[in-house]
Amino acid sequence: MDSREAKFILNAYRAGGQDAADPRFAEALEQVRRDPILRRWFEGAVAFDAAITEKLCATPVPSDLRESILAGAKVSRAPSWKNRWRKWAIAAAVALSATLGVLIWHDARPAPVSGWQLQALDAILSSIARKESHFDLVSRNPADLVKWLRANDAPTGEKLPDSLDKLPSIACKTFFWHGKPVSLICFALPDGRAIHLVMTTASARSDLAIKHAAKAIQQSHWATATWREGDMVYMLALEGSRDELRRYLL
Amino acid sequence: MSGVDFQQLVDRQYAPLYRFALSLAKSEADAADLTQQTFFLWASKGEQLRDSSKAKAWLFTTLYREFLNRHRHEVRFPKIELGDVHEEEMSISPNADTFDSATVLQALSEVEEPFRAPLTLFYLQQFTYHEIADVLDVPIGTVMSRLSRGKAQLRERLLSKEEVLGNKVIALQSDRREELHG
Repeated sequence: MDSREAKFILNAYRAGGQDAADPRFAEALEQVRRDPILRRWFEGAVAFDAAITEKLCATPVPSDLRESILAGAKVSRAPSWKNRWRKWAIAAAVALSATLGVLIWHDARPAPVSGWQLQALDAILSSIARKESHFDLVSRNPADLVKWLRANDAPTGEKLPDSLDKLPSIACKTFFWHGKPVSLICFALPDGRAIHLVMTTASARSDLAIKHAAKAIQQSHWATATWREGDMVYMLALEGSRDELRRYLL
Repeated sequence: MSGVDFQQLVDRQYAPLYRFALSLAKSEADAADLTQQTFFLWASKGEQLRDSSKAKAWLFTTLYREFLNRHRHEVRFPKIELGDVHEEEMSISPNADTFDSATVLQALSEVEEPFRAPLTLFYLQQFTYHEIADVLDVPIGTVMSRLSRGKAQLRERLLSKEEVLGNKVIALQSDRREELHG
């Protein structure tokens, strides 16, 4: 092994000494001991590498990144969602098919989620729990997601509800329900859960029947609220109670 | 993996992962998103790994692939013949102690991308060259070549910054001298 070859190998030798026992470096290190010129080079290289490591490891990390990861990952793991959601989605689908296949919203009693809303919930499931599809864009900044949705002609309101605008986002997804585009934005709540905003245009008769005032319903462990603003229909969903959901409807 | 274990994994790896992402993406927002997306993928897929000792390598590999996927249509990697690499000797080495973290990171980000990823993994001291080869899915010899070339480029970038810094110091000193004498 000549000194050039030794240098080539020792460039992969970590300054912290973790690689001292690696036999691939043994011969090169022996060469260092024998060759004073090579030793000088090696000492300089180790000092340089140690300084770079120190500087690189001192690079600051955003203060909220850890919390944001934990909140987002909790949603994506969603171990409790997986089964409950599946069972609930199947039950909801069965219930829907039992109602003559017509999606009807009654003022007198809590309406089940249906149509594009059920599809939206399934999109959350497929992206998060079933891992069958991916989000279109992941960002902690809701403005980025809204910008992306607008750029892709996906339905978005004039502005996000004020209560959501202050939350860090997780990701967004778009899909079609009977040829109608639907947008979904997931936000991270401070307690690690997620809340989901679904947006579409009010076109079907069932959509036009939706009131301006948000109507919150409880279905199993989930609370959803649907309301209409002009030609846009929104649905907000979270795993929790209606009271919790109402905090984000203000 | 329980929630506690996952949190421990995040606590151990999110900072080095973010720094690796920052060296690749060059933007703090993109780096944070890449890091978050990597843990998101871990939470949805990675936990299927039976060998938890491979979690770290999985995270870095996934982050690197995510980065490549995002930039597939944006970046054209320079064609480099790595089989015929000649180590670039630098007779002068910059004094890395004189630079702050931001300058070192800036110099690192100026290193060509194929060299930057192994170089950052090397300097984060998280992996052996074997593991770097696994993370980047390249042969060991290629890792060594890229480290040699990458270090040469990094020294070059730092030297140029050292010259700028030196010129500024000289300029400041001469200005001051003029003030004192003027």
